Parts: sequence; C-alpha cells; structure tokens
Amino acid sequence: MADKDVVFRVKRYRPERDVEPHYQDYRIPYTDDMVVLDGLNYIKDNVDPTLTYRWSCRMGICGSCGASINGTPRLTCETFIKEVRGRTVVVDPMPNFPILKDLVVDFDDFLRKLHEVRPFIDRKEEKPLAEGEYIQFPEEIEAYRQQSMCINCMLCYAACPVFGASEHFIGPAASALAYRYIRDSRDEGADARLDVLSTKTGIWECTFVGECSVVCPKDVDPAGAIQNLKVLASIRQMRQLLMPKWTRR
Amino acid sequence: MYPWKRRAGWWLRNPRFLLFQAREAGGFVSALFGLLLLYMLVRYHEGVASYDAFLAMLSTPVALTVLALLFAFVMVHALTWFLLIGKAQPIRFTKKPLRAGTVFAINIVLWVLVSGAVLFVVFGGL
Amino acid sequence: MDRSTFDIVVVGGGAAGLRAAIAAVETDPSIRVGVVSKVYPMRSHTVSAEGGTAAVLKDYDNFDLHAFDTIKGSDYLADQDAVEFFVRKCPEEIIRLEHWGCPWSRDPDGRIAQRAFGGMSVKRTVFAADKVGFHILHTLFQTTMKYDRIERLDEWFVTSIILEGSAVAGVVAMDLKRGELARIGAKAVILATGGCGRVYEFTTNGFIKTGDGMALAYRAGVALKDMEFVQFHPTALPGTGILITEAARGEGGYLINKDGERFLKRYVPEKMELGPRDILSRSIMSEIREGRSFKGPYGDYVGLDLRHLGEETIEKKLPMVRELAEKYVGIDPVHELIPVRPGQHYIMGGVATNMKGETSVPGLYAVGETACVSINGANRLGSNSLSECLVFGTSTGEAAAAYAQKNRWPTGGPAREALAVEEKRIFDGLLGKDGGPETVAGLRVEMQQLMERRVGIYRDEAGLQEAAVQVGKQRVRFADIRVGDKDRVFNTELTAVLELDFMLDVAATIAHAALARQESRGAHSRTDFPTRDDGRFLTHSLVSRTDGAPRIDYAPVAITRWQPAARVY
Repeated sequence: MADKDVVFRVKRYRPERDVEPHYQDYRIPYTDDMVVLDGLNYIKDNVDPTLTYRWSCRMGICGSCGASINGTPRLTCETFIKEVRGRTVVVDPMPNFPILKDLVVDFDDFLRKLHEVRPFIDRKEEKPLAEGEYIQFPEEIEAYRQQSMCINCMLCYAACPVFGASEHFIGPAASALAYRYIRDSRDEGADARLDVLSTKTGIWECTFVGECSVVCPKDVDPAGAIQNLKVLASIRQMRQLLMPKWTRR
Repeated sequence: MYPWKRRAGWWLRNPRFLLFQAREAGGFVSALFGLLLLYMLVRYHEGVASYDAFLAMLSTPVALTVLALLFAFVMVHALTWFLLIGKAQPIRFTKKPLRAGTVFAINIVLWVLVSGAVLFVVFGGL
Repeated sequence: MDRSTFDIVVVGGGAAGLRAAIAAVETDPSIRVGVVSKVYPMRSHTVSAEGGTAAVLKDYDNFDLHAFDTIKGSDYLADQDAVEFFVRKCPEEIIRLEHWGCPWSRDPDGRIAQRAFGGMSVKRTVFAADKVGFHILHTLFQTTMKYDRIERLDEWFVTSIILEGSAVAGVVAMDLKRGELARIGAKAVILATGGCGRVYEFTTNGFIKTGDGMALAYRAGVALKDMEFVQFHPTALPGTGILITEAARGEGGYLINKDGERFLKRYVPEKMELGPRDILSRSIMSEIREGRSFKGPYGDYVGLDLRHLGEETIEKKLPMVRELAEKYVGIDPVHELIPVRPGQHYIMGGVATNMKGETSVPGLYAVGETACVSINGANRLGSNSLSECLVFGTSTGEAAAAYAQKNRWPTGGPAREALAVEEKRIFDGLLGKDGGPETVAGLRVEMQQLMERRVGIYRDEAGLQEAAVQVGKQRVRFADIRVGDKDRVFNTELTAVLELDFMLDVAATIAHAALARQESRGAHSRTDFPTRDDGRFLTHSLVSRTDGAPRIDYAPVAITRWQPAARVY
C-alpha cells in the first residue's frame, strides 16, 4: 500500500505546441519496489496521457528507456524511486541528443556510426556450413565478452562530454562494438575497422573522461575499449611505417 | 526536433567532470612547470647573483601560494593518470588483466621510489 | 531511399523477421526488403529470451529424438511433417549464426556447448550464458548491416494490410517521428511481430507484445490457429513478471514449496524440474491451491533453489538470473530462494501458416511467435521457439523472395484507398475522440484482468463464457475511449489505442477458441473437461473473423510416424 508520495519533475517538449522544453511536476504515490519507469507509467495511465517515453522489456535488456534522472543518465526501468536522492525525481531526456518529444530523443546518428564500424564477422573466406562451427575456446570468448554486452541504450553517449561538444565523435558504444569484433577470434576485419576508427572524429577524439564506463548499465567499459583501440591503432600505424610490406590480420 | 544545447558550466555539475577538467588543466600546468625549470636554468647560467635573486622571488608568499596551487594541479594530473592506466592493459605479464586498483598501487609505489631517488640526488648524495 | 515500395515488407524486427529478411536477400540479391518495426529492432522482445535454442548437434542425439520430444511435448497436436522439417534445419541455423559471430557458450574443447532443458531427452539446448535472445538478436541485427538491400523503417507502426483483389499489396504504416500515415507498397508482406502476452495481466512479455501481426492477419481474412493454447512459464518473478529462465532448472535448480519439499516428485517424478512447462505451471498452481506455497506481497509463490549450484556455476552459466534477482527482488540466489510463480509467456497459437510461412492470402506470410505452423501444438518445449524463428525465418524469407520474383508490382490504386481509409479511421476517428468515459489504460487493465482470471492456467465453461461476453463488451466500449494526446508526432497514447484495438481482437479469439475446445490438452486445461479427447479434438482450431462472434473451424493434425499416446513424464 502506498502511503508516501514523491514529485516527478519531468521535462516536457511537444513539438506541435511547445517552443521550448519546460518542466512539469506530478505528485504521485509510490512504494519501495517501484522504479522510475513505474512512476512514468502511473502518470501516463492515470494523470497525463500525453507524457511520452520509450520502454519495453522493463528488465534492463532492451535498452529503450534511457533518460537523465537527477542529472545522471540511467535506465528508468532499473532506477528505484527510493534510491533517488531528495523528494523530487527530476527526469530529463538523455542529454547530447536532439529531442523528438518529451523524453524521446533521436539517435539515428548512432545507427549510422554503428554501420560505419562494420559490426559483423568480416572474413576473406567463409567456412562452409557443413564443416561446422569455428573452434573458439572459452578464454577466446572472454577476450570480447564484456564489449558484446552492449544493449545500445545510449547512456554512454549521453554521459560523454566530448560527444556533447562534437556530434561527429564516433562515440563509446560504436567503438566498443568495433572492438568486440576486432577481438573476436573468428573475425579478420580489424584493418578495415581501424581505418574507420583511427581518425580525428574516431577514437582520437576521446580524451578519456571515463564517464561512459561509469554510467554503462551492462559494464561494457567502452572507455577501456577505446583506449585499447588507441593502442591497437598506434601499433598498426608503426608497423605500416616501419614494415610497410607486413600484412597483419 | 529540438536541438541539443549544452549549458555552460556543464563540468561543475558532476564531480568526475570537475576532476577531468582539473586533470586536463594539470597537463597545461605541468608544461608551465617545465618552462619554469628552463627559465631557472637560464638564470643559473647568468650567474650566482641572478640565480639567488630568482630563488628569492620564488620564496615570496605570493609566489609560494601560486607554486602550491600549481603543484596541486600536477598532483591531480598524476593521480588521475595513474587511476586511468589500469583501464587499458594491452601489454600484460599476467593472463587476465590486473585490477585497476592494483595497477594504481604499483604506479604509486614506483612514483614514490623515483621521486625519492630524484630528491636524494638533488639534496643529498652526489 | 525510396520508402514507398519494397519487394518484401517484413513487419517486426525480431529474430524471425530479421532472419527472414536476410534469407530473402540471400535468395535473390536484387530483392529489396523493408523491415518495418514499431521499435528499433534491437528493442524487439527476442532480446529478453534467456535460456537457449535447441538443435541436434552431437552424436548422442538424433533428429527422431528431437522430433519425438517436440511432438510429445506438444501433447500430440504438432504437425509432425512440420516438426520433422524443423528438427532437420535447426543445426545449420545454429552454425550459420555462429559464423555470423553469435557468441555461443563453448565446451573446453572449443565446440558449441549444449545444456539440458525442459522436456528434452538429452542436452540439446545451445546457449550464450543466459542471454541467448540478446545475443541472437544483436548478431542478426548487426549482420543485416552487411546487406544494402535490407532497409529499415524504424519506429513505423503498421496499422493495416493493403489488399489488391485477394492478394497482398503492402501495408499502411504510421511514421511515429513525423506523425504521418503512409502507404508502403510490396509484393509480399511477412508478419513477424511476436506474440500477444500483454493481453494478460501477469506476463513475462514486454510492453510491445500486443499481437499486432495476429490482428492484422485476422482482419485481412486469415484464420488464427490454436489460439487457446497459451503458455504459462513456471518461473516468473512475482509482481513484475520478469522471467527467470528455465536454464536455472536446466543447470540443476530445484522447485521448493513452503515445507522445503521438491514437490514435483508428486507430479512429474521422472523429469522433475525438467518437465514440460504446462505440467509444471499446473503443479505449482496445485501447490498454491492446496496451501503449500509461500505468501508474499504479490500473492503466493514457490521457491527456486539454486544454492546448491554454487557461486561459480551461477556466475558463469546464470549471471543474468543473479542480476535480476538481486535487482528486482533484493535476494542473492547463491544464498537464498528465488520467489517464482507461473506467468503468461508465449502463445503456441497464431496466424495459420504452412512450413513456408504462407497464409491463405497470396503474398501474406507470418513467422515466429506470430505464426502457428504448428510445431508446438498444445505446448511448446523451452528452447524450441528461437530455433523456430530461425528455421522458419529462413524458409519464409526464401518463399517470400520466390513469390516476389514471380509476381508483378501492385498498382497504386488500392494502396491510396487503404491509406485514405486509415487516415479517416485513425486521425479523424480515434485521435479525434473526445469526452468518452473510457481511457485506453483503464480498458486495457480490465481486459488484462479478465483474461488473467477467466482464460488462465485453469479454465471452465462459465469463466470462458464470461470472458467471451466481456471481451465483446469491451470491444463495444472501445468506441468510447477518449484520447488526451491530440498531437501527431510520436503519440504513444494513440499507438496504445491502436494496440488495444489489436489486443481486443486477439483476446476474443483466445476466449472463443478456449470455450470451443472441450478437453484438456497441453497448456489448455479445463476443469470441466479434465482429460484429453483425441476422438473429438485431435485437431487444430481455426478462428476466423465475422461480423458477429468469431467463427471456429477445425483442421486435421498431420501425423506421420508418432501415434498419440498418453503423455507422462
């Protein structure tokens, strides 16, 4: 039984009627096992049906529900109301993205960047199906397992001040996924990806703030992935300089 | 679509961003220290009187305060750098990556040892 | 990019839809496929699947055994020719996904590992830690980026199917970002929108599982098959309904009642926790009814005991289970019991198709949970569903591509008319609604509670009658919904109304089909008809839309080599 209430201060923006985004307050009852998403659903279902936000799985795996909660990029389905400090839960759309409506932002730019880093197994020759699977030992999976956990929630882009200043920056998640494929023992496409990544708007734009890894709900550690990519890119650069005839995988 | 606009002072709203800005500023400050050392060599080259006058200027309260501030920035720069080293471990002596905390500790120990050696050379020993 | 015409439109971007898209462009590289999904594909509910996907890969296994397990699991309602086709295609799908980078968990020798799963005689469930759906979906999604001919219309909500004569001519869809309806012409349309779990109150399903494709086909004149067979997964977290994978039992977990007893020994003594889901869910409900369950703030539950597995196994094989339990229930399965109870999870029924995903409308296909081929019959075995998406995704994509190669482009006329009809229905009719007493949320909750109480695990004549009548009334009340959000751009209240519209149709088919089936088989359990009646009901039900109540027909089950027998575990 809910015997306490909380104020949700939500950033609204309705393109057909608002010139600027503005806050709207809602006082709602809550219980200790409610997450911020439950609060938003309560508001939409009972108080204000115009409130708009993305969500689906409610278990932190689909990546739909990213938002800024009291200034920190978080998934609304994983943030318990009781853990938010203060009597007001301030919900903004994820920073660094253009706002479509209320908490819904446009991140098509990320999908273009994802496409650029060739996020698939890239080989000169495919093994025929009849020969079965590529052998991959558990330790080899471990080499890329962490980065393979990315749910594309965009919290890392929301947290990254470099992306906030420069929208061309390829960004944490795209880099982490590129790294995931480079480190996959079955892949042979490292060179093609490093060409894309090792540019001014690629990994070299990263100044290792590290906030992306702090906010990542799946512990992907994109910051670590980018720094490792910098090392890989540098080594490759040196090789090409000193031993131009050397072809590496 | 409403375009994203970053607010000035974005780095004041998050302690880690503040630390980041301090770290980056620390890089600039380290460069300043380098220039100061070079200038000290110039004054030394000009002779004892010039060098002593320079040291006297550095000993004024204002100068000491400024130097302490700059030193703090260099410390922040060094410490945050050590905290970051563990995050990417392309060269490894162990099978699994070391915990970032361990790498930090190793670097602190090495830093203390090297600093100790430098101080020994400057003030004692040779 | 020309958005208005594709050779093939795939509605829905989950495992089945993406696999079909890839199969289509691989069949014919000149074919253009448009994947039209109301969410970005990586948000599709495939992503939440945890346990695994089944295939015969090793020497200790064989196709006949996988087929028999599936057919027995289906309580002999599965079409055996389809099952035989299915089991033979699973292995190559697993290998193909592996070649595409899917990080299947491995044995120490580097080969693909397999684990035990409910109703499977041997270890044939391929897995990727306990995030198999996540890895399959992201592998497929990222692999589609290799193909220029696969284009995506993300966050486009399909509202109706365009017919030209008796054949498909495309779809009408709303671009949520611009708030505009558009016609998308196509020679073939593949419906891959998943199931309809959100017609129930307590479900593992995400918010987007609203039976859109089923309703779209139903309204286009296609029958829905076996809709009465709804799967309740034994282990969902009370309150949220979040799924705790069967793999937890596959790795050796126990189900315990409040007396600390592994109560399944009284229901499925041989298979115990690895019995099929319908029997396990009923067993748990019996324990609850007979007062041997725990009591909590969200009702009665039993305990899932993983303590004896040890922290290492849990961290390696079931890390997400531990995460979910800690986060949403505040318990650590290494030391405590996980509270679980049965919740709606999957629907065996769906759009009636054959093995190539063809429906009764030329050019219209369905695949995945949306479709009913049927290989799952009256009860699905865990880890067959993802395999189903892959196998039939391939066969349907290939069939749709072949169809598109042979057929002419639709003319524009019916599409323009369809668009005008939809604009009137949606913008004038639904969006313009004012002052009615109903709200979309209120009516939706009523429907969900009705289905939960009357068309749940145990059903009877009176309850099903009431359900059928009440859903009919809710359909009438739907006309009185008031819509508060009058904007067009990204109007999620409007999409909720459209989804409720679909759900009311689908809920009605479930209630009516369940009422008509006077026996208990698989997941359909009638307290007034507690036994299986092969004499009258060894058939598939087919629900078709009429102006009045849905019409129920029956179609025979294809039996090749396995005669129906008593289903004991």
